[in-house]
Amino acid sequence: MLEKELVAASTEPLILSLLSQGESYGYALIQEVKRLSEDKIEWTDGMLYPVLHRMEARGWIKSRWGKSENGRKRKYYSIKKDGHKVLKEKREQWTAISSVLGGLWKEQYV
Amino acid sequence: MFDPEKAITEWRQQMVAAGLQKREALDELESHLREDIQQQIQAGLTTQRAFENAVERIGGPQALKGEFAKVSRRTGILGMLKGFLMGTRGSELPPLVAFTADAQQSLQIARAEAPRLNHDFIGTEHVLLGLLDSQSGIVANVMRRLGIECAVVRAEIEKVIGPGFPAKRVAADIPYTPRARRALALAVKEAEKLQQRQVNAEHIFLGLIKENEGVAGVVLRNLGVDVNRARDEIVKEMNLRKRAG
Repeated sequence: MLEKELVAASTEPLILSLLSQGESYGYALIQEVKRLSEDKIEWTDGMLYPVLHRMEARGWIKSRWGKSENGRKRKYYSIKKDGHKVLKEKREQWTAISSVLGGLWKEQYV
Repeated sequence: MFDPEKAITEWRQQMVAAGLQKREALDELESHLREDIQQQIQAGLTTQRAFENAVERIGGPQALKGEFAKVSRRTGILGMLKGFLMGTRGSELPPLVAFTADAQQSLQIARAEAPRLNHDFIGTEHVLLGLLDSQSGIVANVMRRLGIECAVVRAEIEKVIGPGFPAKRVAADIPYTPRARRALALAVKEAEKLQQRQVNAEHIFLGLIKENEGVAGVVLRNLGVDVNRARDEIVKEMNLRKRAG
């Protein structure tokens, strides 16, 4: 399990990255993150929704009500232009941190 | 026999009782709950067990209420515009939902005015021109009552700042200057003080007047616009409009 703070900080970039691959909905986003992180990132399911709503209020993503394959109501989210810009920004930041750490650890162990 | 529909209804009632009352948010959480239950049933769990797991995973009503409350606190006009007003990269454009149609139109005109003057920034002066040209004419009316015609304002702006060299940027990419953003931040404050959900053209005009140091402020001063009187006129105009419905 990853530290709580780290998981919290990565939530928005994760959501933006997943949505940049196409429209999705809350449950699928959670499953996808679990799968990709091999269960290391575990969100409290309900907590994702306030984050999505905040991102929508900021104009990064938008939502629409649609139907699932078996006709149930489902709220879909997709990324907007501002969201792409924010994603690019966040990506630069995370890449910077990861390359610094990567560099340091490489020196140490080689 | 376990009745999933009854269980979900009761779960929803608990959420409402805890203070999570926004229907749309509840619909979304319920949709998630049903999704999770269905997936678990397909994986071979009993309906009851699936329901219990899903409820546990989605989180308790108190914790959820807290998180949703945090969001709505930040989603006033200021919340919507925060990134833009602070000049955070990636949010150069003000989210339009924060503005009334009239204000949106003014900002669009401001964006078009900048390249017309060969400027590759949107400053307070372009915002002022946008306000004067907007269809509602409310700011133009106020200026006229102060004895100033729109054409005079335009001429004064060109005198103060002068046209730049032909701009290299395309209109859609032109950024706001820090002063223009500050004026818009002051406009947001005006709107919030009057408990309005969106920023309108009058609020922006008040923001420009209060900002005071940008080109718009200089121009208004040069033209002898008395700041306090302009303010009074705007407030009067707003009240008139309110009364007219």
